[in-house]
This record gives sequence, C-alpha cells and structure tokens, in this order.
Amino acid sequence: MSQKSDKPEQQKDRREFIVKLGIGAGLVALVGQAVASLRSLVPNVSYGAPTTVKLGLPHDFPDGMKFLPDQRLFVFREGNIFHAISAVCTHLGCTVRAEALSQVENRKVEGSPLRITHRFLCPCHGSRYRGDGENVAGPAPKPLAWYHLSVAADDGQLVVDLAQPVERSFRLTVA
Amino acid sequence: MRGDPMATKPTTQKPQAPGVHPRRLWSIQPVSDRQAGDAVVSNFILHWFPAKALKDSLAWRYSLWLGTISAALLLLLVLSGLPLLFLHVPSVERAYASVKDIEYVVTFGYWIRSVHRFAAHLMVAAVFLHLMRVFLTGAYKNGVGQNQHREWNWVLGVGMLLLTLLLSFTGYLLPWDQLAFWAVTVGTNIASAVPLVGPQIRELLLGGRAIDQPTLIRFYALHVIVLPGALGALFAYHMWRIRKDGGLASADHGTRLPTRADCSPSSTKTYTLLGVARGTGPTIRAFSTEAPNLTVNSIPDLTRRIAIVVLGTIAAVSILAVFVHSPLEEPANPLVTPNPAKAPWYFLWLQEIVTDTTIKLGSWTVNGALVGGVILPGLLIALLTAWPWLDKSPGAAAGRWFPQTRRTQNLVFLVLVLAVLALTLVGTFCRGPYWNFYWPWQSWPELPRRI
Amino acid sequence: MEKRTSAPFSRRDRWTLAGIGVALIISTVLFVRSDRAHDWRYYQYEFKNRVAAKFGAEKAASVPSGLQQIWAPELQRADRCITCHQAIHWKGFEQAEEPYRTHPERILRTHPVERYGCTSCHGGQGYAIDAPEAHGPIEHWEEPLLSSALGQEYSLVEKGALLQMNCNVCHRYERETKGADAINLAKRLVNEKGCRACHVINGRGGSIGPDLTFVGEKAPEQYDYSHLSGQKTAYAWHVAHLKEPRALVLDTVMPNFNFTTKEAQSLAMLVLSWRREPVPASFLAGAPRTDPQTPEEKEAERKMATGPGAWFVKTGCFVCHSISALGVKSPAQIGPDLSVAVEDVQSRFGRTIDDFLNAPTGTMSVVLSRQIILSSEEKAIAVQKLREAFAEYQKQKAAGTAAPLSH
Repeated sequence: MSQKSDKPEQQKDRREFIVKLGIGAGLVALVGQAVASLRSLVPNVSYGAPTTVKLGLPHDFPDGMKFLPDQRLFVFREGNIFHAISAVCTHLGCTVRAEALSQVENRKVEGSPLRITHRFLCPCHGSRYRGDGENVAGPAPKPLAWYHLSVAADDGQLVVDLAQPVERSFRLTVA
Repeated sequence: MRGDPMATKPTTQKPQAPGVHPRRLWSIQPVSDRQAGDAVVSNFILHWFPAKALKDSLAWRYSLWLGTISAALLLLLVLSGLPLLFLHVPSVERAYASVKDIEYVVTFGYWIRSVHRFAAHLMVAAVFLHLMRVFLTGAYKNGVGQNQHREWNWVLGVGMLLLTLLLSFTGYLLPWDQLAFWAVTVGTNIASAVPLVGPQIRELLLGGRAIDQPTLIRFYALHVIVLPGALGALFAYHMWRIRKDGGLASADHGTRLPTRADCSPSSTKTYTLLGVARGTGPTIRAFSTEAPNLTVNSIPDLTRRIAIVVLGTIAAVSILAVFVHSPLEEPANPLVTPNPAKAPWYFLWLQEIVTDTTIKLGSWTVNGALVGGVILPGLLIALLTAWPWLDKSPGAAAGRWFPQTRRTQNLVFLVLVLAVLALTLVGTFCRGPYWNFYWPWQSWPELPRRI
Repeated sequence: MEKRTSAPFSRRDRWTLAGIGVALIISTVLFVRSDRAHDWRYYQYEFKNRVAAKFGAEKAASVPSGLQQIWAPELQRADRCITCHQAIHWKGFEQAEEPYRTHPERILRTHPVERYGCTSCHGGQGYAIDAPEAHGPIEHWEEPLLSSALGQEYSLVEKGALLQMNCNVCHRYERETKGADAINLAKRLVNEKGCRACHVINGRGGSIGPDLTFVGEKAPEQYDYSHLSGQKTAYAWHVAHLKEPRALVLDTVMPNFNFTTKEAQSLAMLVLSWRREPVPASFLAGAPRTDPQTPEEKEAERKMATGPGAWFVKTGCFVCHSISALGVKSPAQIGPDLSVAVEDVQSRFGRTIDDFLNAPTGTMSVVLSRQIILSSEEKAIAVQKLREAFAEYQKQKAAGTAAPLSH
C-alpha cells in the first residue's frame, strides 16, 4: 500500500486511539472517585484512648514493681532495665492481682535472664501466672502480654505502646 | 480492518442460538442490529432500554436531556451520600462535630460533602426545568398511540418534584448548625398554618413541639431511606410509563405512521415464573419495522448519549465541588435567632409571599402563612397536577416546542414561573436583617462578634 | 454480513464522551490535589528537619506524621492543634517561633494537654486543620484564639491577658487564681467598688441592675451597638460601658467609677468569662464551685442590718448612700453621706429634705420613681431618721469621734 492511501487510515487509527484513550481515562477517573469514597472511610484521627501512653519519668519508678491502674500495666524496674507486663487476664479480660513472692527467683526466659519477684492471680476465675507472664494454672489460654517500652524523644518520659506486644526477651535499658 | 468496531464487518461465525454470542463484551459493543437487539434481553442493566430508539427522541434540542440530568444527579447523590452515611452522626450532641470532622479530618471529606450539596441543589433546579420542558412541549398529552396515559406520568413527575423538595429539606437539617435549625424552623412553621390540622402536622414532623433530637432522627430516616426509596419507586414507574406510552411525546408527533392499521389483538407468548404463557396482547406498531430509517439501535447510540450526560454531569459537579466549600455556621442554638432567618432557596419564594401577604388591615392581620404558605402553593400544585385534564388543546400539539394551539397556556405558565423566580431572587439577594429590603449593592449592617 | 444501522452522530458522540473522560480525569486530579495542599504537611516536614538538626536523625524519626488529635472526652473537645504545633513537649525549642515552640512547662503540670485539650484554655477552633480557620477570627466561629495578636488589636495594656478569660471559666469562684493577674485585679475591683450592691454576681447581690451571673453567654446580637463607635463586639461594648455607662445606656443609674483603661479591660474580660460551662466532677478538685461570704463579711452585714441605721439598709438607700453617723457603709458610695443630708440638701438645692423627697431632682428622681418607691408614711420616717442621723453626727463631731464623711 502506498503512503498516501495509508494516511487517512493512520489518521483514522490515531483518532480512534485518542477517543479510546479519552473514554478509558474517564473510566479510570470513575474508579478513582470510587476509591476516594472508600478512602474517606479510613479514619485519620482516633477517638479512642491513645495507645501510646506516657507513664512518667524513669526515675519516678521504684526498683521492683509498679502497678498502673489506668493502663492496666505492671512496670518492672531493675536498676536501669525496664519491662512491662499487661495486667489483663487472657481468659476474659479481668485485671489480675500481683502477689509478691517470698523468695526472688532468677530464670532464663526466652534466652534472657529475668529476676522474678511476683506472681499473678486473677480474681475472676482463678487463672494463675508466673512472674514472667506464663500461664500456669486456671482457664487462661495464653501468657500475659508484654508491651513495648521506649523513652519519649521530647521529654524523656517512659512510653508504653499498648498496640505493640513484644517477646519476653524485651528489655528497655535507660541511659 | 482496524478502527471503528461499529463499521460493518463480516461476522466470523453465525451465533448458535439467540442471545449467545462469542465475544466477551458483545452486549455493550454490538456489531450488528441483531446483536444490539439481543443485548437488550441478555444484559441486566441494558434490559431497561428498548431495542431501537427514535432518532428524534435522541435530539439534544428537544428534551435538553433534563430528565437524564436529573437522574444522573440522583445517582450522584446516592453515591456521595453513601460515605456520608458512615461519617455523619444523627445525634444532637454529635451531629455538628461529625460534620466538622467531614470538612476537616476525613480524606476528601469536604469534597464529598460539596458534591452532595451541589448535586442536591442542582437536582431541584434540574427537576423543575424538566417539568418546565415537559409542560412547554405538551409532553403530558396523549398522541396517536392506544392506551397512552401520559397524564399519569405527569402526575408521577409532580410527585417526584415534591419528593425532591422534601429530600432536600430533610437533608438540610442534618448538619445541625444555625442555618439548618432556623431554615427548618421557618419551613415547619409555615406547615403549621394548614387549617385544622396544621399544628398536628408540625408536631408529627418535629416528633414533638420543638426541633430537637426526635426531629433530627426523623428527618434522618426520611432523608436516608424513606424518601429515596419512594423516589426510586416512582422513578421506576416513570420509566415504565414512558415505554408503555410509546416513548417520548416527540415520537408521537414526529413519526406519525401513515394509516391506522388494524389494531386487533395479536397472539403473543410471554415467559412467566412457571413457564410460558400464551394469550393475546395489544398490537404494537413499531417504527422499527414500518419506518426503519427513523430509528437507531439503543445500544450503543442511546446508551452513549446517556453516558455523555451522566458522566458529564458527574464531571461538572466534581470540578465545581473542589472549589466551593459547603457552608457550616455556628452550632444550632434555639436561643439565638440569626437575622435574617431564611428558608432554603427553593422555599424562599414561599417565605417572600408569606411576608408580603402578612398585612395589617386595621386591627386585623391577614395570616400570611396561611395565604402564602398553604393556600397559594396548594392551589398551584393542585392546578399543576390537574392540568393534563384541564388542557383542551388537540393531541397534535404533544411533543412540540411552543405550538400555536397551546400558546396561551405556555405564556401563562412562563409568567408564573418568572414570578416564582423573581420572588426567589428577591428573597435571596434583597432581604436583609429584619427582612428589610436591601438592593443587592447596598451593604447589610455589620454582624457583631463576641470578641 | 448482518445488517448494522449506524447513527449519523455516533462519531461526534464518541469524541464528546472522550472529552468528558478527560474532564473526569481533571476533576480527580483536582480533588486529590486539594487534599494534599495543606500547610500542616509543610510544618511537619520542617519540624522534623529541625529535630534532626538539633537532636539527630533517630529522634527525628520518632516525630509522628499525619493528622494528630487530642480527644478530651469529658470536655467533648477534639483538638487538632498538635498537628502543626508538634513541639509542645519537646525540651529545647523554647525560643523558636510558632508553631515550633515548646509550651511553658509549669502550667502543663496542672493542666495536662491530654486531659484538657488546647482550646479549653486558648480558644480557637480545635476542629480545623488550617491556621486561618483554627485561629480565627473567622465567620461562624465565635471563639477566636485568645492570642497576643488579638490583644494587640484591642490595645490591651497586657497583650497576652485575653487568655485569662478562659482560666476564669472554671476558676470563677476563686477569689484569686495564680497566674491570672488581670482577672484577679478585676475580682478585687468587684469587691471594692461594690458591684454586688446592684447586680447579682456568682449567685448573690442586688436586683437594681441585671443579673450578671451568666452574662458572658449573652449573644453578641443582643447588645445595643447604636452608641458604640469602633468594633462591634460584645467585649468592646463592655469596655466602653464600664468606662462611661451613660454613653451606651442613656437612662442608666450606673455611675461612672473612673476606671482606668486597664481596669475596664480586665473587668470586661471577667464579665465575658461568666458563662455556663459544665465542669466534670473529675476536674473539680482544682477549682471551688461556690463563692460564699467570709465570716467577717457576714458579720459586717449583720451589724448594719440590725444597727441604728437598719431602716436605711431595709429600704435600700444604703446601696448608694453611706450614713456613717449610724454605722451604715454604702458598698458603692455613689451619693453623698446622708449623715449631713439635713444641711447638705439645703445648701445644694435650697430646699428642705421633706420638700426634696416629695419632688426630687436629678438621679434621685429616677431612683425614687423606679427603684425605691416610698409611701408618704415612709417618706415621713425617712425625714425623721435623717434628722436623727444628723443629731447623732453633731454629737459625734462634738465628742471628736465622728467617722469621716464618705463624700
């Protein structure tokens, strides 16, 4: 076929392509608008209680155990090493009680040494936990959760992240 | 041969059975008349349409496609309303804060709300323009077809206009700000002017004696499910009646078939739930067989135009909504009345009449709310609804713009519409604090602030 | 080949549809852009850089991004100020410019941000995420940020004092609040000048003027601005009214107390802070909820009400007039001391007191026709009591024990 007779063909093809492009663009845009409607349903701000909570300055925590009722959390301090164990029973969510052990134990928990000074008992259905959170008796299906601790960058307070459970080898060493 | 798939092209294989076609998207891109016809019965969404449509019906200049624009706006309202349904809280303690959240904190929230608001106001305007067009072209009249009942379609349309106004009014209250609260106060106070049962109507609307939580939840339920459901049902019936009446009124006019052929019932077969029913049905003379050059395939020619109108409306409203934020005034406060307190714009003509007819004659004050808010609009709506039966012009006038035989009624109608428009404009731009008259260029007194 | 009917307008329609497709793309781009184009994104980026420069990259990584909100459920406040003002708890940015500045620490110890939010003290629109709408003043949000800039507009003597208005919303029943000097000054003035003689304030007082207990809630539209020049705000109205009551309310009996500008401004702030604001029980520990009289004040009142001048207390004359010879001290001391009324009325008006009481002039004509209506018997008693007071005054003067006249 000669060039000349191709031109109207090519032009027709090109126009066809542009029209298709336009219509296709419209469809893409409609999908975009649908996605926008769905994105609007993903919340940007939280109306619940904040999950990262400042607990106070590290030197305000005594050596040993401190119970924080508002966060339902036990914070343990040994020198400048901290760890936090949840007080929420894994059975049905009651707040467990801590009972001081008559004799301090030293155990290796998940590869790291841990000084155990308390055990935990749940008043609701009798679940019992060892000082590292391990469930040893009663209906509790899982050990007590450990939560991530850090030091706030702005004012140096201890910060617990209740949305970030950690392994039982976690320790926070404060400078 | 590449290019337009609509170009005539030899089919590669004959279809095995009716409705069975090899290509995947054949129903939206039919390559022959037969495929176009089959598409109508094989595709769920496309079964709405007739197989063929009159070219005249598709003309932009006849109907201005106002009905389609109204439907497109309704679709847009439903689509934009769905996210808002999840985000707005219909409680007097949280409604305002939830709308503030939509405006500021929800991604694209202000845009979705703006789309919803624009579509709502434009729909009131489009529906009314559509009514105007139908009146001016006499499309509520029956023509040459048998068993046509266009007058009932007109009544359905008036009903849908009222539903649209109610939808807009109920939605107006939901932000629970000063604008909403007092606009609804004005509107429901006018409703209470109905003789005998006015106060009861108001109490039923409000769910009590004052505008409070019961009102909000009532208006919310109406706005979100009851009225849209009713509108959807009437819309479906409206479409059904158009098919039953043989299409747009211009079809009657533009395509008069030469002789009145035999119209005795013809034998017919139809598919029911339990099988096939045979019997007789009316003989429908079809242009597609008797005057084929007057028709085109619905798919794709009608559907393409519908897509243009619907998508064009969506594009226009979307772009507008980016630049214009919806208003949100102070939180609703029953103890502080804004000055002036105005009804929504589509009721401003009523408020204007109410204030203009509240005149003192000696020691007696005319009840403007009754005259202007109940009697006058009641009369107008009744007249409008009954007009198809009062219209004495011949059937030939149906489906034409400004025919001679309907000149007087068209003129009177236009004058009334202009009067309503003028009253609306006065109410919007010329009424300031205490409902005093201000020319648009005059400034209103400065509103005081707290600090 | 099967038949295919083609419409004459199909080509044009397809181009139109393509054009609308492009319009839809434009609309999508536009609304996505409008979501990205907010100032807070820049402020967060800039703050991260500053933290990185000052404290290192690791600390900078812990700065949160995205919209931040403080939700104080008891006060029903959702404040998003911390989206831009991220530095409030960071030590080390005390000298930076806003919004990168550290918040003064001491006040936060008693008013932690997580419990109080920001707007309950600072005002402004906590919902908003852009500075103009959050700070105000903007239309349809009545609480602008009570900033030094706003104080500057009002030519406040102490520019940052407006903030104390919001302190007083909770601390209103305290006689003195630490850190709210302007409000403390205003409260002292209320006691010294005897505003309670005519107005009910914090639940007790006289009924000659309007009840001011919740006057801060009065809508701005309900004030009469016809005689007020300058800004039409409730605050400006109060300042002008306190400086010269008769300028704004033509037939008032409220006297001019010759307040300085600073005093009038402080009093206006106090008055506007008198609002109905429910304080949840968990917040009550910090602020008293009643303002009772001290035992000394009660005793002084009892003495006056049962002493020789008791009649003047009962009728209300003592609101404006002291009768020092009979031990009656007026809280407002607007009119002259009535101990010497017998002589004084004669020298001022050339009339006897009987005559004057029956046909008073000036302020007294307004008072005796509206606020204190005396029957002719009561007027006779008044004359008799005034003569008694004068006799007592002369006796005290002779003995050298007369208290100084209040006027």
